[in-house]
Amino acid sequence: MRVFVDGREVFLTPGMKVRHALIQLGLEPREHALLLRDRWGNLVGLDGALRDGDELFLHAEPAEKDPQEDPTK
Amino acid sequence: MFRAFWRLSLVIGILLWSSFSWGEPKELRIIHFNDFHGFARPHRPLGFSEEMGGAAWIASLAEDLRGEKPTLFLAAGDMIHGDNWANLFKGESVIRLLNAMRIDAMVLGNHEFDFGRGVLRQRIKEANFPILGANVVGMEGIRRHVVKEVGKVRVGIIGVITPETPLATHPRNVLGLKFLNPEEVLVRELEAIPKDVDIVVVLSHCGYSKDREIASRVRGIHVIVGGHSHTRLDEPVQIGDTIIVQAWEHGKTLGVLDLLVDGGKILSWKGGLRDIMPSRWQPDPMAMGIVERYSRQISRLLDTVVGVAEVDLDGENVRDRETNFGNLVADLLREVAGAHVALVNGGSIRRSIPRGPVTLDSIYSALPFDNYVVTLKIRGKELWEALEHGVNGKGGGRFPQVSGMRITYCPQGEPGKRLREVRVGMELLEMDNTYLLATNDFLAAGGDGYSSFVQGLEEGSKIENLGGALVGGSITFSDPGRWVRELLAEKVKERGILSPSLEGRIVEACP
Repeated sequence: MRVFVDGREVFLTPGMKVRHALIQLGLEPREHALLLRDRWGNLVGLDGALRDGDELFLHAEPAEKDPQEDPTK
Repeated sequence: MFRAFWRLSLVIGILLWSSFSWGEPKELRIIHFNDFHGFARPHRPLGFSEEMGGAAWIASLAEDLRGEKPTLFLAAGDMIHGDNWANLFKGESVIRLLNAMRIDAMVLGNHEFDFGRGVLRQRIKEANFPILGANVVGMEGIRRHVVKEVGKVRVGIIGVITPETPLATHPRNVLGLKFLNPEEVLVRELEAIPKDVDIVVVLSHCGYSKDREIASRVRGIHVIVGGHSHTRLDEPVQIGDTIIVQAWEHGKTLGVLDLLVDGGKILSWKGGLRDIMPSRWQPDPMAMGIVERYSRQISRLLDTVVGVAEVDLDGENVRDRETNFGNLVADLLREVAGAHVALVNGGSIRRSIPRGPVTLDSIYSALPFDNYVVTLKIRGKELWEALEHGVNGKGGGRFPQVSGMRITYCPQGEPGKRLREVRVGMELLEMDNTYLLATNDFLAAGGDGYSSFVQGLEEGSKIENLGGALVGGSITFSDPGRWVRELLAEKVKERGILSPSLEGRIVEACP
């Protein structure tokens, strides 16, 4: 399947998760655990499942916004 | 006579109308969690200053919330597999915990299949609550929907799971089962559910983006309690007439959704997530007792001797050269996956195991990562590139440990041109031949810079699980439900005695 992290294309095998998308980009998953959001701006866990075409955002702004809170507070 | 009957009918009609239209709105609270993955003990996630989670604190909060209003407690799948606290007991510990928490219903997640169907059947029998899976055909003991009376509210609950489950667990775990399209099944199930329910809740282990699609396409669902994507939905989201909730992962939050229901409609709702912070309230004693009992068993299990090493298993030099421990792990992957060759990164082995009795703890400490086996269909050229990349990383975690092949390289050679020869079995590697390569999921995803493995994924076409085997793409085997350390522990138990040796699989030679 093909997913996108900040617009960058990532290819994963079925069953692979959010952490694998970061690994492929050479990123240490644990360091980005609290930065990673879906296309609606929601925080997603490193073991979250992905679907073909999913978009994740590390630094770029998600296109849409669901209600948010800062989980560290 | 006719007039009397007419009057009586009118009176009954007025009474019925007034009871429906002027009845008191009814309160319902739904509390929920998902993707627990057996994280029963508090843990400190990176970026947080204090510990979060802990089943005994979830149970305690759940009891408080129950005391306030009629409450339904739901679990949205992937509950019994993941952490050692769950895996060492094949999920039995989690079911006992969920029983103690008085869960009202749970939907199957894809990881519920990870211990095999026989074990799952047993777990379903042990559960004091219904386990749902309306779109799963052939699995014994599960139900498509249930109706629960909570206070004055009748709630219909339908469970659906991701149809991609056959690709997200070991293929044999779902042999003979069918996973149907959840949307189509929901349309059918909404017809089958009794008409006198006040609201319909879908327990979905399909992921948030799919839940949004379901909410926009399938009418008649009041609430979707989701899981699978580990999404932290700080507040419920409404799509059309459907409210969607999801509570992150690993028991770090408990979702709370308060509803006011009348006449088959939700009049108002309010909800959010409650962070589980063990320092801030007292744990539930019964749940705590279960967590501690299994934790003590884990300590005993980890001290158990599972075999004997006749030689030291070298985990110190795995980043520099062939080691016997590296050979053991690479052989294990190749054997499990039925592959031609295997390659693991030296960095996946973190410790040596000294000669003598081998405990489970020593294996788990040596292979601490939650890595699983993946088999890639790969061309000789890509395998060469991967090995070249590996040996160029001598001294680092990417240095390869291999099985089924012998490689010769010159460490002093020009970077990128150090590999001199690769033999698969006795034959020289053919660049255009296709080989089955077993590796771990970290490298298969391109970790440690193994980008040549990803090329196969780019070209991969649609993969299917046919008769327990993955076909149609660049992946022929994937078992996300068993960590490599668990496979090694099983192998050590099976063999009893370990004596892996150096076999000249990685040879340094310069012209």
